[in-house]
Amino acid sequence: MTKKQNIPIISSIKELQEAISKYEQQCKNDLNSSTNPQETKSCYLGKNGIFNQLAKSIKSIPKENKKEAGIILNTFKDVLEKSLKTTKSSKQGEWVDLTIPGSKKTQGHMHPISQAMEEITNIFKRIGFTRVRYPAVDWDWYAFEALNMPKNHPARDEWETFFVDVPKHPKRGKMVLTPHTSNGQVREMERLGGKPPIRMINIARCARRQQDATHTQMFHQFEGLVVDESINIQHLKGTIDYFAREFYGEGCVSRIRPFHFKFTEPSFEVDFSCHICKGKGCHFCKSGWHEVGGAGMVHPNVLRAGGIDPEKYTGFAFGWGIERTYSLKKGLNIDDIRLLYSADLQFLEQF
Amino acid sequence: MNILIPHKWLLEHLNTKATPKKIQECLSLCGPSVERIYDINGDKVYDIEITTNRVDSMSVRGVAREAAVILKQFGIDAKLKNLNLPSVSKPKDSEVLPLPKVVNNPKICKRITAVILKNTQQNPTPKWMAERLEQIETNVHNSVIDITNYITHELGHPCHAFDYDKVMATGGVIIVKEAKEGKKFVTLDGEEYITVGGEIVFENEKGEIIDLPAIKGTANTSIDDNTKNVFLWLETLDAKKVRATSMAHAIRTVAAQLEEKNVDPHLSEIVLLRGIELYQDLTGATVASEIYNYFPGNVQVESIKITAKRIEDYLGIKLTDSKVKQILTDLGCQVEVQKNSKNHSVFIVTPATFRGDMRIPADIIEEIARIYGYHNLPSVVMPTRIPTSYPKDTDFNLENRCKHYLVNIGYQELYSYSMVSEELAIQSGYSLEQHLKLANPLVENNVYLRRSLVPSLIEAIENNKLRKELSVFEFASVYHPQKNELPDEELHLSLVSSKKLREVKSDLESLLGQVYIKASIKQTEEQSAEIICENKKIGEIKIVDKLTVIDIIWNKLLSVAKHHPTYTPVPKTAVIIEDLTFTLKEKTAIGPIIEAIVKVNEYIKQVELKGVYKNNFTFTITYLNPKENISNEDVDPIRRKVVSLVENEFKGKLVGELN
Repeated sequence: MTKKQNIPIISSIKELQEAISKYEQQCKNDLNSSTNPQETKSCYLGKNGIFNQLAKSIKSIPKENKKEAGIILNTFKDVLEKSLKTTKSSKQGEWVDLTIPGSKKTQGHMHPISQAMEEITNIFKRIGFTRVRYPAVDWDWYAFEALNMPKNHPARDEWETFFVDVPKHPKRGKMVLTPHTSNGQVREMERLGGKPPIRMINIARCARRQQDATHTQMFHQFEGLVVDESINIQHLKGTIDYFAREFYGEGCVSRIRPFHFKFTEPSFEVDFSCHICKGKGCHFCKSGWHEVGGAGMVHPNVLRAGGIDPEKYTGFAFGWGIERTYSLKKGLNIDDIRLLYSADLQFLEQF
Repeated sequence: MNILIPHKWLLEHLNTKATPKKIQECLSLCGPSVERIYDINGDKVYDIEITTNRVDSMSVRGVAREAAVILKQFGIDAKLKNLNLPSVSKPKDSEVLPLPKVVNNPKICKRITAVILKNTQQNPTPKWMAERLEQIETNVHNSVIDITNYITHELGHPCHAFDYDKVMATGGVIIVKEAKEGKKFVTLDGEEYITVGGEIVFENEKGEIIDLPAIKGTANTSIDDNTKNVFLWLETLDAKKVRATSMAHAIRTVAAQLEEKNVDPHLSEIVLLRGIELYQDLTGATVASEIYNYFPGNVQVESIKITAKRIEDYLGIKLTDSKVKQILTDLGCQVEVQKNSKNHSVFIVTPATFRGDMRIPADIIEEIARIYGYHNLPSVVMPTRIPTSYPKDTDFNLENRCKHYLVNIGYQELYSYSMVSEELAIQSGYSLEQHLKLANPLVENNVYLRRSLVPSLIEAIENNKLRKELSVFEFASVYHPQKNELPDEELHLSLVSSKKLREVKSDLESLLGQVYIKASIKQTEEQSAEIICENKKIGEIKIVDKLTVIDIIWNKLLSVAKHHPTYTPVPKTAVIIEDLTFTLKEKTAIGPIIEAIVKVNEYIKQVELKGVYKNNFTFTITYLNPKENISNEDVDPIRRKVVSLVENEFKGKLVGELN
């Protein structure tokens, strides 16, 4: 530790430079041996520190050299400040327990369905899809007839529809809780005045008369619809493969197999490869693939119902359950879908 | 619908060395989905899902036909075996029994084929047939009954065996008609039914019902232990009527499922011949009549025109004309290739009679694409135009921002049912009659389309009483009925919290702050108030059972929400901040006082409620003059005005004195 020093009177530039040189070296030495950098700093840069004393002592330098002296002093000050830079730290030696748990803050949680919706929306937004929201309570016409399912057709049985207790509409038929988001297809065609391009993602509540470990009366679906000139099956495959990769991770692929829906032709069943065995078969998936939902090329009658000429335009559509799609994520392990609508905090707070 | 097909039975119609596993794999990729393979009675049995448009595949032979085409496409040897059914010679005159008289209604029945089989012995079903029936989960009785089930499963058209003598005893006349309402009939298992009107029935001349075709036999004509002669009968009914009959009496039979899907009437010929063969072999019967065949309108199959270009449009790749022709021909179609005026190939495709699902060009494309193999098509995201027309009055980003914000300040998001119980419906404040309700609810707790999210949220908090402080929210639609229209699906953002009121109010203020709006509260009742922004009511805040409830109408919020603030320059002058404490009378609303104080002078920048102690309210007032530093001399008169305002208009009393 350097005690307060007396600085000699400096009367020439040369003497100044010599003094500065000496103090620079001294400062370095002090820093190396110092246990209290704060003290060292004030020794050099403090009110009565070495620098200030040096600055006072140049009064004997001839007038014409004073400017040069000033510049040299300023350079010295910069050097000192750089070397003596200390961070404002807490007092040396006082112990703080950093292992103590944080105080409890109430953490809110977004519902897993909302999280899934957001993720799904973002995946499709990236490839130019527009998200829309169509009614959950709709006319029979949009939910079935416009989708090439005439009244009393056996195909409707599959959907176990809820009907609303009101009189039939003369043109639109009965009022139903839509059993699928496909009611959005013709509605979107109408919104765009029958003029493609269409790239739609409709996410909405649906309802079916069924309740067990893998079905709830009320659930959510997301429906994709793409219509333009020259849309073909490869594009459907490409879009589904893209979604599989984005939603389930690199290495997940999709597969389409023949199926039947009245509103698509050809129709497909869509599977995603199992993340555990990658399509080979294991005890989780049994066959290597998980069925996620349906898809197909939009039936010409549906395009016509939406005012679109099927000779000029083609399209594809897919509609899947959000709960089902989400539950296939790696490591999720949800075994009872009813938990999602149960307001059971012990379940919801895990998300 | 599912069908069970034993592998060995399949091989009687399909010539192939492919293993069951391979057959499962190939079929599932290009045709009917083989969901499982069981091991029953020493054979593999396929459990296959057949889609409702492919009734032609609902039989052993139907699946064999599909397998032959599909396996070939995978380069595996497979061929559909010919059906070698023995021809039937006309019986000697001495052997002939008279045919019943048939009066058909061609509007409801497209075809009838039948034959009389004499001297049928009720032999037990042979082991090979019994095993197969077990494999397909069909009950085994005796050969006379089992043959009908067997041939239907094998070849895909339903058939029925009448007791010939009983039919003759009821008058020997079969009239095909639609039943009148209210007629009684007794089925072969002794159950009594009454007609609803419109069902397809067979009646005798006396108007008695002698059969419910495709649904259930009646006691008066069905096979029993005494049957000596069988009248083997196949009818092809109108699909819609069969379905209506089946649904009306809630009897679902294999026959009904086939007929309601437009099974091909041409199939009844081969089923009849196969039936004759088996009856002769297994029951010792002899043919005792000519084959009755009523087939007024031979099904005319319309040909479909499709261009090679159209196929290419759908698949995205070009197939050779010969490949297209081969696939379609293998599937039983007749194909003619022509060139149009532009010298492009055009296919004229005439599907087989059993392919009633092939009607439009898209159907043809489906056949070609699935046999070619969807797995063989490339996978490309479409490089086509991207639409930029977005739905009006919708801002999903804002919805997510608000949800995220609430989550981050400790709220739990819930999703609850749109259909609620009577109790919850009434708690919304609307009467039951003011709600839409389900005509066919599944459970009592979910009947009414809710008009408020709040009762469901309150219920959730009450179900979690152990939590000291719980805050929940839901963002969903409520359903306001509209006469002759769909309900107004009004989106609400509703919050319910058991925290202290002032904390919840601060949550509301900061939530609105996220969208750069400030709202004022207009108290309307003892425990409820309106949330007002820009002179519009955007929601309500109220206390329900000690819980604070905030109910925001989303589209109203959306109409005043902003995406960014309007910058106010940071003042360069100094502020004076001071506290004033007033004693206020009971039930004095603070909000209006603060609003009034702020209005007293333009230099009052901000008024905050600092603290409350009993009836004493401390306000922190910030004074600022943006042009020059405000002085105590400037503040003094303003302060006096404030005190005077509170004392005179709000009946408060300043604590302490002004100098």
